[in-house]
Amino acid sequence: MTAPVVHLSHIRFGSDKKPILDNLSLEVEAGHFMGIIGPNGAGKSTLLTIIAGLLKPSAGHIDLFGKCLNSRTRQKLQQDLGYLHQAQSNQPDIPLRVYDVVAMGLSSYHTSLLTRLFQDKKHEKDMICHALDLVEMTNHQYADFRNLSGGQQQRVRLARALVRQPKLLLLDEPSAALDSRHQEKLYKLLRKLCDEKNMTVLMVEHDIAAITSYVDSVACLNKNIHYHAKKGDTIPDEVWREMYGDHVNIVAHDASCIGCTPVAHQPTHQSSHEHHHD
Amino acid sequence: MIDFLSAFFTSPVMLGALFPALLIAVVTSSMSMMVLAHRLSFLTVGVSHASLAGLGLAVTLSLPLLPTAAVTAVVIALLLALLPKRQGINEDAGTGVLFAGSMALGVILISNANSYEVDLFGLLFGNILTVSEQDTLWISWGSAFVLFSLMIWARSWWSMAFDMVTAKASGIATSRLRLMLYAVVGLTVVMCVKLAGIVLTTGLLVLPAACAWFWGRSMLSLWLLSLSFSIIGTMSGLMWSYQYDWPSGASIIVMLCLCFLFSWAGAWLKQIKSR
Repeated sequence: MTAPVVHLSHIRFGSDKKPILDNLSLEVEAGHFMGIIGPNGAGKSTLLTIIAGLLKPSAGHIDLFGKCLNSRTRQKLQQDLGYLHQAQSNQPDIPLRVYDVVAMGLSSYHTSLLTRLFQDKKHEKDMICHALDLVEMTNHQYADFRNLSGGQQQRVRLARALVRQPKLLLLDEPSAALDSRHQEKLYKLLRKLCDEKNMTVLMVEHDIAAITSYVDSVACLNKNIHYHAKKGDTIPDEVWREMYGDHVNIVAHDASCIGCTPVAHQPTHQSSHEHHHD
Repeated sequence: MIDFLSAFFTSPVMLGALFPALLIAVVTSSMSMMVLAHRLSFLTVGVSHASLAGLGLAVTLSLPLLPTAAVTAVVIALLLALLPKRQGINEDAGTGVLFAGSMALGVILISNANSYEVDLFGLLFGNILTVSEQDTLWISWGSAFVLFSLMIWARSWWSMAFDMVTAKASGIATSRLRLMLYAVVGLTVVMCVKLAGIVLTTGLLVLPAACAWFWGRSMLSLWLLSLSFSIIGTMSGLMWSYQYDWPSGASIIVMLCLCFLFSWAGAWLKQIKSR
């Protein structure tokens, strides 16, 4: 039996009085596509940064690909990891072509200029073009990254995360700057990578309705995993209320929706699982 | 014009100054890309002023000027990299504190030295025309080290400047590389002191890349442009200095400022035209 790609055991992060994550345990197998939802400040981004090895938890144990994540193994394990953090508002104003931004995702990019003289650049070029092709940005490969729209920049960042063909992909609100057409394309692409390349994807998203037909499971997070809904499972109303408070109004989606109860008198295909009262 | 150029290139003083000045131009143009990308302009101001403490120590203890100043500058640059992270103050404030403190120490030490031992004007504003053989040797070794560092780490530094978080998540030793960057910037600053002086050094480490920033589209094109602007500024500045007997460092900085104005105006006109 192969070890899970991600194994978190009793993770705690933050102060003792006000922990951001508390007693969080989670196991994710290879090829699994997991959506992580939760209210603002629930610790979703913190969880991803901990798994990415950028933050050290106050307590608990992390195994990635069957190996313990610690300061000695971190850099080696990160070689098999792709990470896309939340889009920044204060982007650095550095002249860069789209091609170079994607190249930064390859380990070979960071070797010395002397070593690069003897490197196989054809293979590198093929990998970059393939990644750009996945996000439909091939036509912009020589464009100045600063001149792209927010959505295009996000797709290039995604290509940078994908270019090294990671075993584990961590995405923090990847659809934030994308229009609905590209959002759907993104989820389809991620589903395909999980099925065909056995890639494991952990994705933080707010809109459960948008991701529900693509993901294998949804983890409801607020300091710890309140509920882990697999395909066909229903997320109980009390879990929603526990996470978001009493002011949410639960509405139903279609029958295939993870965590939804198909209710006959409710209209199907609502835009979101949570509705805030005005 | 030909007479002037012939006199310039046969002047023993200028010939002695040309090699170190051009070497510094190559090094500063290369490092200025990193200074701008990592937003380290204020760090260069801080380190260059703080190097006065090193020069003061060298004068007081009769140590070689440039190596002592270099060690001080590198130590101060490393402190600036480490102090804010460890003590929870921002880098800006940390630079201000160390910059003022070490400059004050330098002033006290130099004021106690015999006045004939210290060329204060040369320290503050630079004078490449008085460069000694030993200084040239020191600048050559320093340049070799800086250029070698760039060959090894330039792409990682570039990637860190673009997105530090993703660079760290990619398995790059960002903390170690950041310390190396600060140390190399500190060393470069001291090498510039002979040419532009403590006060004007920042100009050499900011202006070449600032001129190129409007036109560069990749790291390579930016470096080539930055190098061109730096060499043009240095050569024309030295010629000005020779022609009108102006201080060499200030002449080079004024020339680089003019290059920046032309570059900026060109980019602005291009932008208007493309609308």
